Amino acid sequence: MNFLRGVMGGQSAGPQHTEAETIQKLCDRVASSTLLDDRRNAVRALKSLSKKYRLEVGIQAMEHLIHVLQTDRSDSEIIGYALDTLYNIISNDEEEEVDDVEEENSTRQSEDLGSQFTEIFIKQPENVTLLLTLLEEFDFHVRWPGVKLLTSLLKQLGPQVQQIILVSPMGVSRLMDLLADSREVIRNDGVLLLQALTRSNGAIQKIVAFENAFERLLDIITEEGNSDGGIVVEDCLILLQNLLKNNNSNQNFFKEGSYIQRMKPWFDVGDENSGWSAQKVTNLHVMLQLVRVLVSPTNPPGATSSCQKAMFQCGLLQQLCTILMATGVPADILTETINTVSEVIRGYQVNQDYFASVNAPSNPPRPAIVVLLMSMVNERQPFVLRCAVLYCFQCFLYKNQKGQGEIVSTLLPSTIDATGNSVSAGQLLCGGLFSTDSLSNWCAAVALAHALQENATQKEQLLRVQLATSIGNPPVSLLQQCTNILSQGDKIDRRGSKIQTRVGLLMLLCTWLSNCPIAVTHFLHNSANVPFLTGQIAENLGEEEQLVQGLCALLLGISIYFNDNSLESYMKEKLKQLIEKRIGKENFIEKLGFISKHELYSRASQKPQPNFPSPEYMIFDHEFTKLVKELEGVITKAIYKSSEEDKKEEEVKKTLEQHDSIVTHYKNMIREQDLQLEELKQQISTLKCQNEQLQTAVTQQVSQIQQHKDQYNLLKVQLGKDNPHPGSYSDATQVNGIQPEEVGRLREEIEELKSNQELLQSLLAEKDSLIENLKSSQSSAGTNELSSATASAQDSEQIAELRQELATLKAQLNSQSVEITKLQTEKQELLQKTETFAKPAPASGESEAVAAAKTADAEGRLSALLQETKDLKNEIKALSEERTAIKEQLDASNSTIAILQNEKNKLEVDVTDSKREQDDLLVLLADQDQKIFSLKNKLKELGHPVEEEDELESGDQDDEEDEDEDDGKDQGHI
Amino acid sequence: MTYAYLFKYIIIGDTGVGKSCLLLQFTDKRFQPVHDLTIGVEFGARMVNIDGKQIKLQIWDTAGQESFRSITRSYYRGAAGALLVYDITRRETFNHLTSWLEDARQHSSSNMVIMLIGNKSDLESRRDVKREEGEAFAREHGLIFMETSAKTACNVEEAFINTAKEIYRKIQQGLFDVHNEANGIKIGPQQCISTSVGPSASQRSSSEIGSNSGCC
Repeated sequence: MNFLRGVMGGQSAGPQHTEAETIQKLCDRVASSTLLDDRRNAVRALKSLSKKYRLEVGIQAMEHLIHVLQTDRSDSEIIGYALDTLYNIISNDEEEEVDDVEEENSTRQSEDLGSQFTEIFIKQPENVTLLLTLLEEFDFHVRWPGVKLLTSLLKQLGPQVQQIILVSPMGVSRLMDLLADSREVIRNDGVLLLQALTRSNGAIQKIVAFENAFERLLDIITEEGNSDGGIVVEDCLILLQNLLKNNNSNQNFFKEGSYIQRMKPWFDVGDENSGWSAQKVTNLHVMLQLVRVLVSPTNPPGATSSCQKAMFQCGLLQQLCTILMATGVPADILTETINTVSEVIRGYQVNQDYFASVNAPSNPPRPAIVVLLMSMVNERQPFVLRCAVLYCFQCFLYKNQKGQGEIVSTLLPSTIDATGNSVSAGQLLCGGLFSTDSLSNWCAAVALAHALQENATQKEQLLRVQLATSIGNPPVSLLQQCTNILSQGDKIDRRGSKIQTRVGLLMLLCTWLSNCPIAVTHFLHNSANVPFLTGQIAENLGEEEQLVQGLCALLLGISIYFNDNSLESYMKEKLKQLIEKRIGKENFIEKLGFISKHELYSRASQKPQPNFPSPEYMIFDHEFTKLVKELEGVITKAIYKSSEEDKKEEEVKKTLEQHDSIVTHYKNMIREQDLQLEELKQQISTLKCQNEQLQTAVTQQVSQIQQHKDQYNLLKVQLGKDNPHPGSYSDATQVNGIQPEEVGRLREEIEELKSNQELLQSLLAEKDSLIENLKSSQSSAGTNELSSATASAQDSEQIAELRQELATLKAQLNSQSVEITKLQTEKQELLQKTETFAKPAPASGESEAVAAAKTADAEGRLSALLQETKDLKNEIKALSEERTAIKEQLDASNSTIAILQNEKNKLEVDVTDSKREQDDLLVLLADQDQKIFSLKNKLKELGHPVEEEDELESGDQDDEEDEDEDDGKDQGHI
Repeated sequence: MTYAYLFKYIIIGDTGVGKSCLLLQFTDKRFQPVHDLTIGVEFGARMVNIDGKQIKLQIWDTAGQESFRSITRSYYRGAAGALLVYDITRRETFNHLTSWLEDARQHSSSNMVIMLIGNKSDLESRRDVKREEGEAFAREHGLIFMETSAKTACNVEEAFINTAKEIYRKIQQGLFDVHNEANGIKIGPQQCISTSVGPSASQRSSSEIGSNSGCC
């Protein structure tokens, strides 16, 4: 630290000494005092001294102050003083104000001081980390000086401090929280801190973006009133610029986060003309630059075009075009807006088309392009504005064949508006080309060259343009007029730079003639042109003319390189000889080299925007530098080649062309053959595939048939058991394995199976009828023999009936016997009565007679009764006889029922068996039918050869087959 | 394009496991066979649809190299989802998972959804880490697991979408504070918030996650 003392020593000694002592004492107090109040007062005293005695306080107190930061965190006041003191030591801001009047030397010294103290402070990275943790303290007295201190540390030694913050955990994230602070001072200083933090450090920029910086900054800008906001808006915009410039990842994030849409209201300035404050102009300027950052031509093409698309879709481009056409907009804002619009439309067709359709709000409405071109060729407009318009025009035509065609067409005879009411773009360009202002000449020439860029059609179209120079003279072609002006040489009378007009015209001609042999022919057709060029190149002119000489050499070189030898007097060979004779090859090449060696050349080749500090620097166009790069080498080569070499080359070229044609012919042939081969290969593969499929199908079918055969045999054996006449073909089926024959046989088999089935069915029918018969006979038997039924249920019912009948009969019998006994007792009574009558009878004769009559009567009645009883008894006898007979009958019928039942069961079993068999057979038959059908189809598909083969093979086995089979096969053949 | 939600993802894991390739396959549907070392962090974005809702995924692809570790740590805090990637043909990338996971858990919000991804599943012949091991690791640490191939695009889409589904499910359950952007979730513009969606929806989404894990 001796050097610091040296600085100190240089100043006056007297009062310094005491101050140094005081500082020393204060430092001792800070270090040793145990009382917080005491330490706090000491730090406050140091703070008050730190501005005036920056060096002394810095040297002696820094260590102690850092210690305070570490240990006294609980007291925000002392921390605040310490941070303030450190800020005063490290920051140069305050000093500058003081030192403004002092000499430069001391300012530089104080700057050194700041960076040296910063170096000391960050030597311990923990100090920075400590500062970061202090920033989490919400207390205003801590946070605010903390923010300021960290900002000045970053300003002093950005990269080192950035690195420390980057590696400290959540360092950047914590600083981002400052933007959310409700105290505006801290938020605003937080923005400044983040500016310093993000300066040229991609990693930090990305983290800050990740922490939603875009969202928050855009919110602040909106809150503050967009462009009408104060310096905070500007600070936020600069921070946004830091985050986006040359950071593709963040640009992508910005676009993907739909933040481009939020830029649109920025440019909603309208026609209010409420005044353009300096701050508003600055804000808008940065806003426009921010738009340009996103669509810069140096960005990756995909990124730029997606932003361009978004800007059109959200209406940002339209908004910018409104500013473009508005009145009262300050010139520098207008200029920057033109530049911004240029880059928003550059190379993106949709936006270019939109731009072409924009009209100025004049009466009658004129296209914006025309209005802008008017400014470009207007000497009274500011230089930067004219450059901006040129850039806009270039961007409009960049990769825009449609636009190029439209511009050139306004020059063509057929489309020129005869009434002359409205000025066209073409007219303005021609006017500029031949005006007396060299800057207009240059701009118009370059603009026209851009209408021809990489567009052969327009190069040819432009040859048709004729100009009416003066009344009475015949019209002159545009090309001719250009060379006419050129030929005036340095005698040309123009305001402004002497060479500007000629450089502009030569650039136009070079662009026009390159890659366009017809234009070359037109150019050479004028016999004055070549001598003029050779004269220019050959002459030994001053340094000022070197560039023109170089450009003339380039033009001559183009006339040779793109010469199609259609003009005999200016064939390639002749021109080369001319160069050798008049100029000398070496000389020519040296002159050609003047172009790219020019000091302004590399400047123009860097960026597409024509950006010149003053009109004198307006020499090269960016696109033209590309053309020079492309052509310089090939022209040099073409010139150095001897005529023989040239001839040889020509021959080689021809033979090469021949070869080429042969080769292309063969190539085509090969291509065709290749195609054919490919087709055939495909065919083969499909055929192979088909073949394989078919083969597998065939084998499958063969195996299936085998299976069927086996099954069939089995069935036949079974059938043989069931069926008395299984047919003689059973053995034949077992032998053959080959299809067609098989088919025939199978067909036959089916036929037979069918007949079998029919037989079976008839059999079945028979059996059925038999069963039916049996049933009916049974039932009839039941009715005949006292209703004894066939079915057992019926039988039992009948039996029950019989029994009941029997029971009634018995009951009848009983009642009758009761009646008989009753009658007998009656008779007994009557007998007694008669006895009693007989006794008194003698007593009375009359009564005796009555009694006798009565007795006779009774006796008659008795006999009748006896008779009756006898009858009844007989009846009973008959009935019981009848009953036994019935019983016998019942037994007999019961036994027959049992027999019948047995029989029936047996029959039923038989029926079901045969039914099942029949079903099986039917199913099998159906299956076989189907299989045979599919087989037939497949065989058909396979075509004849397969059939023939099979048949040949099958022929061997024919002998072994039965006659039936042969018949079947024959049928199959037919 | 409007969206219902915006989720921030990070992709972490050893160098060369295919993090950038996964992102490229997801956003651009193409594969870049040459290993181009990621410097710091790269950004990518895509829109997906979950339960009929448009969800914008903003994805930060981090550098796997140790030297960038301190930078990439800054991205944990603001992410709602993390894809933790290893290479199934290099065991050491699997062995380092624990340290990555520790880092992630330490610096992220506790609700961050982590999807474990075994990448390069197309290189079956050179496999060094069994699928079951990945599954076991995921189970043990409560992660979702998938094997993917950035080359063949197998399961790439699913990996990103299933992570989003899980985040969405957590939102439905009210586990995420959608208003705190530090959680890596943002509600889309002009979107009314309806956190009271029935349990059926969340159950469905969780079952979908479970079912969709088969790979190649």
